[in-house]
Amino acid sequence: MATATATISAAVRRTPFWGGAKSWQRNRDAAMRAWKVEIGGLFVEPFVLLVAMGFGLGAYIDGIGDRSYAQFVAPGIIASYAMFHATFDATYGAYLRMESHHIFEAMLFTPMEPSDIVMGEVMWGATRATLSAAAVLIAAAIFGLVDSPLALLTIPVAYLIGLVFASIAMTLTATATTIGAMNNFFTLFLLPMFYVSGTFFPLDRLPDMVQRAAWILPLTPAASLTRGLAFGELSPWMLVWTAELIAYGAVALYIASRLMRRRLVK
Amino acid sequence: MERKTVIKAERLVKRYGDFTAVDGVDFEIYQGECFGFLGPNGAGKTSTMKALSCVSPISGGAISVAGMDVRRRAREIKAILGVVSQADSLDPDLDVFQNLLAFARYFDLPKETARRRAREGLELFQLIDKIGNRVDELSGGMRRRLLIARALINHPEILVLDEPTTGLDPQARLLVWDKLSLLKSQGITMLLTTHYMDEAAYLCDRLVVMDMGAILAQGAPADLVRDTVGSHVVEIRTRHADKPALIARLESAGGAGVRVEDRADTVLLYAENGAASPENVAEEIGLEGFEVTRRPANLEDVFLRLTGRGLREE
Repeated sequence: MATATATISAAVRRTPFWGGAKSWQRNRDAAMRAWKVEIGGLFVEPFVLLVAMGFGLGAYIDGIGDRSYAQFVAPGIIASYAMFHATFDATYGAYLRMESHHIFEAMLFTPMEPSDIVMGEVMWGATRATLSAAAVLIAAAIFGLVDSPLALLTIPVAYLIGLVFASIAMTLTATATTIGAMNNFFTLFLLPMFYVSGTFFPLDRLPDMVQRAAWILPLTPAASLTRGLAFGELSPWMLVWTAELIAYGAVALYIASRLMRRRLVK
Repeated sequence: MERKTVIKAERLVKRYGDFTAVDGVDFEIYQGECFGFLGPNGAGKTSTMKALSCVSPISGGAISVAGMDVRRRAREIKAILGVVSQADSLDPDLDVFQNLLAFARYFDLPKETARRRAREGLELFQLIDKIGNRVDELSGGMRRRLLIARALINHPEILVLDEPTTGLDPQARLLVWDKLSLLKSQGITMLLTTHYMDEAAYLCDRLVVMDMGAILAQGAPADLVRDTVGSHVVEIRTRHADKPALIARLESAGGAGVRVEDRADTVLLYAENGAASPENVAEEIGLEGFEVTRRPANLEDVFLRLTGRGLREE
């Protein structure tokens, strides 16, 4: 029995989750020391966007279906801010830790391996995504934009969204040669996706082809999930969307770990 | 007394693409000794360190650490090593104490052990007053001491130091040496790379001189000096204009086994083997008008003798 427990614990210690948790704790400690800076980005910004889009822009829009525009857009902001927060940290943040501060290099001189480092960064990106989703959700609830208790489930969904986008971002971080290399990812991929993934308006307004393309982008199932939950409208499609996100995340995480090993271990 | 081997490299090769950084070296490091890798930039010292620290896959040959193959048991090897690499990798987002605690976590130390060892390390390295400081508030010497304290958090069997005092001022350097010799007296096995001869002479029990990826000589510092350049060197100070003529005279008079070497504004005479006498050569030709000094030979003489005088690009 004792040996079985020891074997299990040794096996757990070899998984990237174990090492990842330690790298995650490092990022948490760093963020806690800088909480005054962090809080602005995490909580204030999505709040401003919600007010601007929901009430500013929303005043000119009759509403979508039987809901106000602010109600429509709030879950879209939850999904897209989860994406942004995870991506920013796993690109610029992780790149700085790796290249300027040599933190990954130092970790490699301990029993940590590149896959542990990637896992920790991805888990941290997901944590930030979750915090930002919670902030938007609270703001939305204060403005009376949430009409189902199922909306609370957008928080774990935000964690999943964070895992997916942080994993995608880590593939980029592992291959970037300068910090500027990240810029194209934002302007050519993330921002366009932000506009056409059903975050600001329903996809059915778009031409057929664009609609189909939009479903390939990971933000589309993400926003559909958060919206369905916020509206309290469950559908079997949610399982498909969740599976789609998990698949994207798993593939990206695998590739990112391979690329990071190639970059760090020479 | 039988010495226990803790690190053994056999025909070790490390290539980066077409470039061969380490070209088939053999060495053996014993428990409790301080072993030095001395060599100019690009000699292959750091590549050798990285290979045995399991952060860089080897291209050929073999290295074992505590009997474990670096290719198969990286995590286990890394658990018993403490490494101070050349890059200053302190974490600027964490304070001094947290830097140590984060590292302890990577080694799976329990929280209480981590806190205790972190405090002990800060005491030993005279950093306890800085426990809550940001690391960018520390001086260069303090940062280096913190890096060494961090590398000791897992109580490693082997401490690996890649140029531990490069860039430090003389006081800071002495303090680091002092701490390292204290650690050595406590029995830790230590590996260090350096291009400071005095550092190697002060700290190392045995060392290898490396250049262009190969080991040129190895042994205890005093033996290396005696065997390579003899016990004494005769130094003749001269003006640049007079140097070629002086060298020609010395070379034609040169007795068996006496070597003439041109170094900046001096010409050196030393023995190529223990028997030869550079003093006799100097006396023979008569050196009135020159400033002649006889001094004990040192590692620098060995180093320059073995690696040549050509300046290296980084």
